[in-house]
Amino acid sequence: MTTAETSREQKIAYPIHRAGRVFATKLASREAIVTCLLLLPAVLFLTGGFVFPLIKLFTLSLESEGGTLSAYREIIGSEVFRAVFVQTLILAVTVTVISVLLAYPAAYLLSRLKDGWLTLAIYCVLVPFWISVLVRTFSWMLLLERNGPVNSTLMWLGVTDQPLKLLFNDLAVHLGMIHVLLPYAVLPIYASLLKLDPRLLQASNGLGASGLQTFLRVTLPLTAAGVAAGATFVFLLSLGFYITPMLLGGFHNLTVAMLIDNFVNERLVWPLAAAASFILLFIILVILAVAARFLSIGQMLVTR
Amino acid sequence: MRERSYGAGFAQVLGALVLAFLVLPIFAVVPASFNRSSFIKIPPQALSTRWYEAFFSDPAWLAAILTSTKVALLATFISLVIGTLAALGLERVEARTKGLLTGLMLAPLIVPVIMTSIALYYVMLDIGLHGSVLGLALGHTLLCMPFVVLNVGISLARLDPSLPRAAAGLGAEPLYIFRTVTLPAIRPGLAAGGAFAFITSFDEVVISIFLSGVSAKTLPIQLWEQIRIEFTPVAAAASTVILIATVLLFLLVQFIRSRGAT
Repeated sequence: MTTAETSREQKIAYPIHRAGRVFATKLASREAIVTCLLLLPAVLFLTGGFVFPLIKLFTLSLESEGGTLSAYREIIGSEVFRAVFVQTLILAVTVTVISVLLAYPAAYLLSRLKDGWLTLAIYCVLVPFWISVLVRTFSWMLLLERNGPVNSTLMWLGVTDQPLKLLFNDLAVHLGMIHVLLPYAVLPIYASLLKLDPRLLQASNGLGASGLQTFLRVTLPLTAAGVAAGATFVFLLSLGFYITPMLLGGFHNLTVAMLIDNFVNERLVWPLAAAASFILLFIILVILAVAARFLSIGQMLVTR
Repeated sequence: MRERSYGAGFAQVLGALVLAFLVLPIFAVVPASFNRSSFIKIPPQALSTRWYEAFFSDPAWLAAILTSTKVALLATFISLVIGTLAALGLERVEARTKGLLTGLMLAPLIVPVIMTSIALYYVMLDIGLHGSVLGLALGHTLLCMPFVVLNVGISLARLDPSLPRAAAGLGAEPLYIFRTVTLPAIRPGLAAGGAFAFITSFDEVVISIFLSGVSAKTLPIQLWEQIRIEFTPVAAAASTVILIATVLLFLLVQFIRSRGAT
């Protein structure tokens, strides 16, 4: 119940007596105070523990020796640093496209299942959310190792004579990131498939459309919002990825997050780290502003 | 429904394969942890539990478990208290303000964690919170609290607003209404939000890399260092322990949720 509603009700309840009206406004202001008190701890915590450190970081990004904006100029002007940003963006796009392509059939299967099978299939999507990214990435290291099960299977199948180098390269980074981010694409697509009216599919079917035509002209357009939401999530999260590329990638698999870490821990150049962070954040906010037309972030996060 | 096309059948088979891809690789650490030899190998040649003995008898691992538990409990507690209060407050403000405040509460999930981490590292070095359980817990709370706010928010949205009003009409005090009407209604949200907050903190790596220092190493940091430097089967044993504990917690929450739904 909103405070506005409360005060309106109170006014209706005491239409004549002045004393009643005074009581009502008192009640309304007390309600407003209670609302503020409820929100205050979280707002204070986020201001002190999140907004303030980010503002500090921003001032740090302006404190470069070469002048106010020189850290930004250095990053945007340097071919090496620009390459890292471009590489991160390309990685994010590839991971997003493959994730959505894989997520759609999984979400479709979910929308077809019932009861026990549905529960099992949903657990397959939800359990990975709960399991440590570090453990999941470590599992991939074990699987893709020189003497690991993937290599021994390939050799057993006669695909290769000697173990392939599967780890510390693009392939491993992509596999690991898609594995971690895929659930973020499955859930919104599944939600949009559930909202789809089955009568529309029947109508399309009844009018003689083939399965593929129905999918392309009815199902896909009506679930486009879910696809957009899933893609946005995967894309935004993959832009900031650190652990998985760090463990599964080689020297050349540098992401912006790894670059920022490098600035702080190896080269001790805080202004560059701060500037790189804000450039990354700027890219993310631009994408988010575009995507905000399609999705509500809060709704997507609660399915876990 | 009419007979389905081959395409639909193909899509479902592909979907099943994708689900298998999501779940099966995670469990690769389990066979690796039971291998007797001192290098990691799947499938193991000879079974042994020596790496679990090594894990549970190593003071460094035990200290890490203890630190992680302390940090996660503290982060969950803070998240539950201020997150629940915030969710209750959000229900009482108008839509515009609610949107703005929800955006603020979810912002830590959108800003890249590496950025939050270095910002916290910089600030906490100054005020002496770096390398402390409290510092880690406060950092983790940024990532944990949104899940409490969202889950409790959903429970609150499901609560029939006429119930607390009826209680008020019958002369019940606000705190009494909260205890007898609101609290039982949001219990599933508290359980789900709290459990997810706990696991989010317990598994957090990036913030911890920057805030741990030498004095407060969490379990994921100990694991992170083992994987990057030594790569012994103890890391697989540690991963298996984390894995089993997480799956159990997940199943417990699903059980509470399904009971809350009926």
